[in-house]
Amino acid sequence: MDDRGDIKPIRLPRLGGSVRKFLGIGLLIIAWQALAAADVVNPFLLPPPSRLVSTFWDMLIDGSLLVHAASSLERVVVGFAIAAIVGMVLGVVLGWWPAISEQLMPVVEAVRPIPPIAWTPLAILWFGIGNAPSYFLVFIGAVFPVFVNTFAAVRGLDRTQINAALCLGAGPRLLITDIVIPASLPVIFPGLRIALGVGWMCVVAAELIAAQSGLGYLIQQSRMLLQTQVVLTGMITIGMIGFAMNAGMTWLEHRLIPWKVSEPRP
Amino acid sequence: MSERSLQIAVRDVSKRFDSRGDDEGVTALSAVDLEIFRGEFLVLLGPSGCGKSTLLNLIAGFLKPSAGAILHDGMAVAGPDRRRTVVFQEYALFPWMTVQQNVEFGLKAQGMPLRERRGVARNLLSIVRLAGFEDRYPHEISGGMKQRAAIARAIAPSPDILLMDEPFGALDAQTRVLLQEEIARISAETGKTIVFVTHSIDEAVFLGDRIVVMSSRPGRVRDIYPVGLPRPRVPEMRTDAAFRDLVDKLWTSLRPDWRAETGDVAQTA
Repeated sequence: MDDRGDIKPIRLPRLGGSVRKFLGIGLLIIAWQALAAADVVNPFLLPPPSRLVSTFWDMLIDGSLLVHAASSLERVVVGFAIAAIVGMVLGVVLGWWPAISEQLMPVVEAVRPIPPIAWTPLAILWFGIGNAPSYFLVFIGAVFPVFVNTFAAVRGLDRTQINAALCLGAGPRLLITDIVIPASLPVIFPGLRIALGVGWMCVVAAELIAAQSGLGYLIQQSRMLLQTQVVLTGMITIGMIGFAMNAGMTWLEHRLIPWKVSEPRP
Repeated sequence: MSERSLQIAVRDVSKRFDSRGDDEGVTALSAVDLEIFRGEFLVLLGPSGCGKSTLLNLIAGFLKPSAGAILHDGMAVAGPDRRRTVVFQEYALFPWMTVQQNVEFGLKAQGMPLRERRGVARNLLSIVRLAGFEDRYPHEISGGMKQRAAIARAIAPSPDILLMDEPFGALDAQTRVLLQEEIARISAETGKTIVFVTHSIDEAVFLGDRIVVMSSRPGRVRDIYPVGLPRPRVPEMRTDAAFRDLVDKLWTSLRPDWRAETGDVAQTA
């Protein structure tokens, strides 16, 4: 390496990591604004960033954005919580007892490929308009990632570790709290993170059709009122909240599973 | 050994593993009789497939015999319990616990209060020379250190017997020798009964009071050799004439099995 020191590849100016991350998105916004200023795009079909920023600010100040975001979040939290509990219980039961999984797995596999959106008509028929169909659709979207990962985690438990715990005198309760759960967490947690992301997409989709509030309802309503800038503001808010939830779950994962980093399962 | 008191009795034990599909199955152990005495260091030696690990798992209670019985102080072994703890080849430390928490686990299972078990674990960790590594996670320490931690964890609940399943098999040669000396010291100091599985003749002679030579397909006890070296064992004994003699004798005895295992290629020690 040393004797080739004088031949160097052409390098872009060195930038800090965070600067590099935002460079692309910054350029996109500038180009977008420039195109709008030059009258190349119709500002009704694609409002410029400056317009979106002011719309976002106005809706933040008058509270309407927060109200919609809060109802979407409430729905995703409820649906996700139910899905997490049901998915984990089902995963543990089917993972632990092969006799049960032989019976139930075909049912699960038959239902799993149906997109959650396809359940919307039934959800409305069963639960009417309101929060309940949204809870249901979030549940349908989120339950399978949780189930699949929990099932895999239980099936993948290391027999030697269980034996080690048993010969050290562990009873059933200690075995579950100190061995089975922590051994499964590194596999279950990514399932929970994916489930929350899917649930967030489902809640927005549900609100497009079956709700009277929420960010999905907001963008649907604004389309009918021809308020493109509100549609886009709603979309961007949906994206930002989804991003924040994923980042939050990743952070939680690192906090809860500090040993995972360099000890992959065999 | 003045008064030999029987601790574990393996009575006419056979173990078959039924394979799925065909009805053949594998007979891992056939009619094994063995007596293990309190305080002795017993080595199970043999080629792979001779059932020595299966025998250890049966004594631990992880497996049930297909025929025969295993008695611990006269009572049939019904399952794993903390009077017989195990040190595994692949350590089997709990990766989500620190070294300290791993060692504490068996004490926690007994319901020992946190403060008390912390003290016991720290003391044990210093015995296995791991003081200063209490708060590390297993993935942060070397293989040799992991096995020291696993030994401390197995000793913590004060078992009657320590069962060791090729505990040094995954370690490099130097670490292995050092840990052999360590376990010789620990066994001399604690006076615990140890059942130790290995396929290394040197290791068997250096550590064992008696060496049980097993042969394969089906696994059975072929010979039992007493080791005439005094305890505690120290590194200088490796060059002792008695040590070399016994190694040679075992090597000659086991050579045909090893030949079979390696596809009839002649080998030398």
